[in-house]
Amino acid sequence: MAERREAFKMLFSANSAKVETNKGDAYYDRLFQQCRARLDELKASQPLQAIDFHEILSDEGYDRREFMKWASAATAMLMLPPMFTPLVAEAAELMTRVPVIWLELQDCAGNSEALLRSDGPKIDEILLDIISLEFHETLMAAAGHQADAQLEDAMHAFKGKYLLFVEGAIPMGMEGQYGTIGASGETFHEHLVRVAADAAAVVAVGSCATYGGIPAAAPNPTEAVGVMDVLKGKPIINIPACPANPANMVGVILHFVLTGQVPELDSLLRPKFAFGYRIHDNCERRAHFDAGEFVEEWGDEGAKNNFCLYKMGCKGPMTFNNCSIVRYNEGVNWPIGVGRGCIGCSEPDFWDKYAYERPMSDANIKAPTGGVEKTVDQFGLGVLTATAVGIGIHAAASAVAGKKSDEGEAQ
Amino acid sequence: MKPGYEKIKRMTPAMRIIHWVNVVSILAAVITGLYIAHPYYQSFIADPAVDKYVMAWNRWIHFIGAILLDVTSVAVAYLYFFSRFEKPYKKLVPNARNVTEFKEVLINLLTLNRRKNFDSSHSDSFNVVYFTIMHLMLILMLLTGLQMYVHGLASGESSIGAWWPWMLHMTTDWTLWVFGGNMGVRYVHHLMMWWIVAWVMFHVYYQIWRTIFWQEGDIAIAFGGSKFKKSSETE
Ligand code: SF4
Ligand code: SF4
Repeated sequence: MAERREAFKMLFSANSAKVETNKGDAYYDRLFQQCRARLDELKASQPLQAIDFHEILSDEGYDRREFMKWASAATAMLMLPPMFTPLVAEAAELMTRVPVIWLELQDCAGNSEALLRSDGPKIDEILLDIISLEFHETLMAAAGHQADAQLEDAMHAFKGKYLLFVEGAIPMGMEGQYGTIGASGETFHEHLVRVAADAAAVVAVGSCATYGGIPAAAPNPTEAVGVMDVLKGKPIINIPACPANPANMVGVILHFVLTGQVPELDSLLRPKFAFGYRIHDNCERRAHFDAGEFVEEWGDEGAKNNFCLYKMGCKGPMTFNNCSIVRYNEGVNWPIGVGRGCIGCSEPDFWDKYAYERPMSDANIKAPTGGVEKTVDQFGLGVLTATAVGIGIHAAASAVAGKKSDEGEAQ
Repeated sequence: MKPGYEKIKRMTPAMRIIHWVNVVSILAAVITGLYIAHPYYQSFIADPAVDKYVMAWNRWIHFIGAILLDVTSVAVAYLYFFSRFEKPYKKLVPNARNVTEFKEVLINLLTLNRRKNFDSSHSDSFNVVYFTIMHLMLILMLLTGLQMYVHGLASGESSIGAWWPWMLHMTTDWTLWVFGGNMGVRYVHHLMMWWIVAWVMFHVYYQIWRTIFWQEGDIAIAFGGSKFKKSSETE
């Protein structure tokens, strides 16, 4: 019965839809107790790195007050009530106790780059610096067999406990031979499956790891797919975007440290705290959209006045992400803030379906997946023309040879 | 009235109201929908500080049109089965009689009224199928449109309560799955508009054609509710 109800719910209600920000006191009380127990347990365990988090913070110029401010913002971002703030702060301090293994597959390393941002870092970024990154081929000094050995060590030492971050798509074409790792020639796919086997949870970061991203764009020569398409039987959390926002990576890790569980996900396995809302609804240019004030051309009067970018191809109305709220680069700005439209980087097939930088109804892109918009209008006008021609022929024929019912009677 | 003809009632006042509400709503929805997809005019840039809600008004009209179509669709669905006047569903059943009638009406149209082996005084099978297609298209429009609309209610709340987004999700989320995400839903919604416009074109033409060639005053049905039929054909 319960199963059938679940199936029914799956069919009729994509859980992407609802973001519940208030689940009632009883729920939060229970969660609070759980988190408390989890943190105590973590605290009792050995730290993986001898790091004094508070010392690093004050070296970077953050005092306790600023740290608590950050903690309360992070609590809000995770959609938890304020009473969780001290727990979130504590979880941040305990983040070094959760081991992370990071794999890079078919990608551009943009997410590693995002993770690394360290020029006058925000607290988020400091946290990402100090997580216990047990393996990250691009960042670590070891190479070749040494690197292989390090991965084996990490997998063995933290069996069942590590978070596996995956960046990049998985090429499935030619039996995976488009991408191999190490001297053994293991394919990306085999590598991923092997390393994921003992992970506590898998976090796919960036659009490539989540839905195949740019490698999977038409015509997808390597038959690239996302992690969720090839991994079964593991909790998977998707953090799409190009690159994934470091704030969301921290959010997911914090949530895991705090609760030992994955955050609430939508039907595309994206954490709701980050992907529950549409960009368009939190966009600073929304008033101009409603007013019908659009940038018509780069650099025109409208552009100078920060008008809405819809006609320049902004896909904010179709895109779910929190970049309009948390922004990028130390929260300084984000694409729409600097005057270019959103290209829907956190949505599936974004390269084919969103990133053509024209209004949706003005694009003439024909991907094998169906093609986009302008083709619709062209097709539509074709339908109308065909109808009009049909009507014309019928009308003309009727006028010339038509037989009115009355005439019929007269004869 | 011409001698030898008698007047027959074909549309009740309720049906006529529904018809014209649909006409106005569809017209409004098409005009504003084209604007929403690609704003083809905009407020004057030189005039920044006045009240202007061009897109907001277009969306408002679009939504009101949609709501009216919602209401008439429910009424039409009801009348299909329970009308005390004529129950259209009876003509939809694909039995031998309806299939023959469907074919005959089509042949009548294609032979330019040279052959007319059916009773043209009442709604025929062809007509009912034709109208059913229209209503199915409208329902698809409503479901895809409401799916796009509910995106903006992510909190699960709305000004009229939480039941509204909940209901919209229940009834329209399957479109995401069937049409492949938001973009697919949007695509279908836009495409279907062209088919509806084509349908309207044919509909108007066919009614005029019938009026001219059948000489039974069909065009008057939507206005006065009745047409004529030859008394000789009456039993
Ligand atoms: S710039 Fe984009 S997201 Fe912002 S209001 Fe305009 S269409 Fe919406
Ligand atoms: S504005 Fe759009 S394209 Fe840019 S980061 Fe946000 S979701 Fe991605």
